[in-house]
Amino acid sequence: MTRLVKTVTEMEGRFEEKWVLVEDDGLVSWEAEAALRHVGHPTPRLTGPQRVSGAARYTVDVALPGMLHAAVLRSPVAHGRVTALQVAAAEAIAGVRAVLTPASELGFQQRSGPLHDEPLYAGAPLAVVAADTLAAAREACRALAPSIEPLPFTVDIETAWQEQRFDGDLHEEARGDVEAALAAAAVRVELVVSTPGQLQTPIEPHAAVAWWKPDELVCFIATQGMFDARAELAKRFDLPPERVRVITEYVGGGFGGKQNAGFEALIAAELSRRTGRPVRLVLDRHGEQLDGGCRPATRQTVRLGATADGMLTAIDAEALVEFGMSGWRAVTTPALTLYRCADVRGIEANLRLELRRGNAFRAPAVMEGITALEQAIDELAIETGLDPLELRRRNFADRDQSADLPYTSNSLLWCYDRAAELAGWPDRDRWREPQADGLLRGMGCAAQIWWGGGGPPSHASCRLGGDGVAQVVVGVQDIGTGTLTAARMVAAEELGLPLDRVTVRGGDTAPAIYGPVAGGSQTTPSVMPAVRGAAAAVRRKLLALAGDVFEAEPDDLVVDDGRIRSRDGGLDEPYTAVTAKLGQASIDGSGNRGPNPDGYRANTFGCQIARVAVDPGTGSVRVEGIWAAHDIGRVINPLGASSQVEGGILQGMAYALSEQRVIDRTTGVPVNATMDDYKVPTMMDTPPIVVAFAPLPDTLLNTVGAKGLGEPPIIPTAAAIANAFRHATGRRAAALPLTRARVLEAIA
Amino acid sequence: MSTFCRPTTLADALAALAEPGSRVLAGGTDLSGLIDRGLASPTTVIDVQDAGLDRIERCGAGVRIGATATLATVAVSDLLTRWTALREAAAAAASPLLRNVATVGGNLCQHTRCWYYRGVEWTCWLGGGDTCFAQIGEHERHGLQPGDCISAHPSDLAPALIVSDATVVVASATGIREQPVAALYRRPDVDDRSLLTLGPDEVITHVVLPAPPDASVYLREGQREAFSFPLVGLAVARFGERLVMAAAGVANIPHLLDPDDVLHDLPGNPQSAWKRTVLATLASRGRTAVTM
Repeated sequence: MTRLVKTVTEMEGRFEEKWVLVEDDGLVSWEAEAALRHVGHPTPRLTGPQRVSGAARYTVDVALPGMLHAAVLRSPVAHGRVTALQVAAAEAIAGVRAVLTPASELGFQQRSGPLHDEPLYAGAPLAVVAADTLAAAREACRALAPSIEPLPFTVDIETAWQEQRFDGDLHEEARGDVEAALAAAAVRVELVVSTPGQLQTPIEPHAAVAWWKPDELVCFIATQGMFDARAELAKRFDLPPERVRVITEYVGGGFGGKQNAGFEALIAAELSRRTGRPVRLVLDRHGEQLDGGCRPATRQTVRLGATADGMLTAIDAEALVEFGMSGWRAVTTPALTLYRCADVRGIEANLRLELRRGNAFRAPAVMEGITALEQAIDELAIETGLDPLELRRRNFADRDQSADLPYTSNSLLWCYDRAAELAGWPDRDRWREPQADGLLRGMGCAAQIWWGGGGPPSHASCRLGGDGVAQVVVGVQDIGTGTLTAARMVAAEELGLPLDRVTVRGGDTAPAIYGPVAGGSQTTPSVMPAVRGAAAAVRRKLLALAGDVFEAEPDDLVVDDGRIRSRDGGLDEPYTAVTAKLGQASIDGSGNRGPNPDGYRANTFGCQIARVAVDPGTGSVRVEGIWAAHDIGRVINPLGASSQVEGGILQGMAYALSEQRVIDRTTGVPVNATMDDYKVPTMMDTPPIVVAFAPLPDTLLNTVGAKGLGEPPIIPTAAAIANAFRHATGRRAAALPLTRARVLEAIA
Repeated sequence: MSTFCRPTTLADALAALAEPGSRVLAGGTDLSGLIDRGLASPTTVIDVQDAGLDRIERCGAGVRIGATATLATVAVSDLLTRWTALREAAAAAASPLLRNVATVGGNLCQHTRCWYYRGVEWTCWLGGGDTCFAQIGEHERHGLQPGDCISAHPSDLAPALIVSDATVVVASATGIREQPVAALYRRPDVDDRSLLTLGPDEVITHVVLPAPPDASVYLREGQREAFSFPLVGLAVARFGERLVMAAAGVANIPHLLDPDDVLHDLPGNPQSAWKRTVLATLASRGRTAVTM
């Protein structure tokens, strides 16, 4: 039965009640013990060969006949007023087809224009040129030779705080009386921690190729949300959504920074509308690192109160955020939810600086908050003389502390135990003994909380043809996480087909089958139940037809391994014994993600342990191992999931050790907006990583029992490394990343 | 727009280089970046990879290395087994992909990685402007000497060659000269901001190593394990009782150290002073490594 129901949906901690279309598929979640043939078995990525051979076509690879190339002129100053642009000189360059400046009348509406005559950060777009070649477009950008009157700027958190330059109101969330609880606490710790600005640094930069045709706008976009991109283009250009098609076949990394259509698609579409030619706009690396987005830097103060035996009685978390996302409140969320505590307060202030505004970056805000909170918890363990994991166990929260609701599932205690077992945690103090190589070693841990339950709306279709091959269509693009591979496994499971007889298509809005943005770790728990529902609908129809063909009761028939069998074993025929009779017809089914259970919160949990080696003579910090245990419900593809964890850990490790946007204090311009000076880790820096998943599917949450995994693995890594550094050296650095200068200062 | 040529003899290359506005390209790993950032705009690019300068061969008690020999070749050459510091320096630079194309001559002549010099938003003193932005800005990874330009020298090979008493052969259409590797570098002044003593019509053709040291080592600390320039790179060689030490990353040209007072003349700039600790540590470890 098809219904419209009102349900609470969640995306990165923002809860919203909305109407969603659901069709009851009658499926119940696979039980923990269910014998599954594909789901839960390591499976190589569907598109692996294309990716490694270069056959995969990313947005940056798209080349259309007559295509123009666009280049962007960016502000070289943090704040200024553009007093002149040499537009005529730019237009005079051979091959130039269009020049857009802040004065141009655009065919789309945006509250703050995409091009700036008063740039508010270095790298802000001032003008755009489309030309026959990229070289001509770049030459024309240089020819624009902007005259800029410099204006005052502030780029450091301390000055902005002193000047009370708040962007929006302070945000406070509290329960109980935290000041009284702190005053009464037997043990108190206070920790001030600074975290760095981090850049997503996708290998494929922001990119779009737009083609404004007479009857349709076609956009190839490197985006994490093709339907959001379609909606944005339709709204801005005032087009019916069905006349906008977004194609996102492959994405070379997003990490949260590629939402919606973005500057690149809006501008490419506008240039195409003006010139009648397809237009390609790909950010160059400098543009990507300046204007692709960032995780804003923070300065956080955490105060904890506890009883002598380590029971938390007060948590007070304060966060100053360097120009975060407007309306974004989540840095103190872990302080409010990770541990059981009655008297808690979180206060956040967004500071307005002349810097590129923060945007979503893998576990936005929560990773920053965990990085501070979990270091404070480590200090409390030292203060109380308790094992840091034991302290965490004692303060385990079995329900959501903010909403006072139970969780659909929570295996955090299992994660503590499993990580400890894998890492050899009980013997950790032996690493502090004098080492033969003169290095200082230590182990640290940190816990993680994140949402990641997904929800409706999310749809899928499945079509079984005469050849017995099923084709699944989903409304999402695979941003490199293996979504399409997981969809193939789920469909094959439900259809009783071998993997090679299921194809999956995504990355195109043309079929008009909706899926959510790949954000908030919601893709797997939103999309896979829809895929299972669509496959189940086809299975039921197939068995009904099989009943006709074999004169059997459909309820007595099952599918397995590409065959249709009767439960009594009397019948065993290939799929094609039925499907071959379809001719050119097909069996079609659709599926959707059902509503989330009322009265619950769905969250992911985890624990990571890090071991580091510190060279006291050079200040180098090397991570020698990470042991990660995460609760993500059912694991659809253990191979893809462990890759996801490894990637998150590397990005988290970089946050602790090397990645940091450095802003020049005298000009306000980032000095390392390049890949040679912004250091992402290499394989040589990669430690052994051991991954474990809690063996408990979340059967309350959805019909496949899965929660999401995009964000969770990055969240606790930096805190675990900082705590390992503390264990190794007895000192805590006041700021991350642990540069040589900071390490040598901390251990001096 | 540049024109491009790929001469097959040194003489042809030198003739082309005599034309104003021409630049030599070998592996291209530095020049392409300089052109991208507008720091070089040659009218003619002369690719010398076919000019017969890529051989590594015995030369008396030492070895002669062609300027276009790649770092990857140097790192594994059987002829260089007794020049440990040089092989270690070549193996530590950049990444495998870059080492496969980057050359000895190019590595010695590469420009500083100073982010103000390289950044499109600044025209710094070294690049012809008035201000060393690093001095008043972000210089945690810069040199230890105050001055007009506090950039850090980036070549791993230079200190390794200097402690090996190597010389460079420099050619132009008008002749050939040979000088110690250290003499390839100069301190920039107001009138001439160049960090190299090479004339615009000159190219390094060879590096000549005399008899090998009794022991040598190259120790370096980078920002990560691969694909990063040296924060501090220290080469140490021992000839009998004589110790020689030279470093990259501590001054704007390769810096010869006094083994008995390694921090002499390296007071540190406010944010880079931590490099003194690292340099002292590496010097102590290097001394131990070559005297064991």
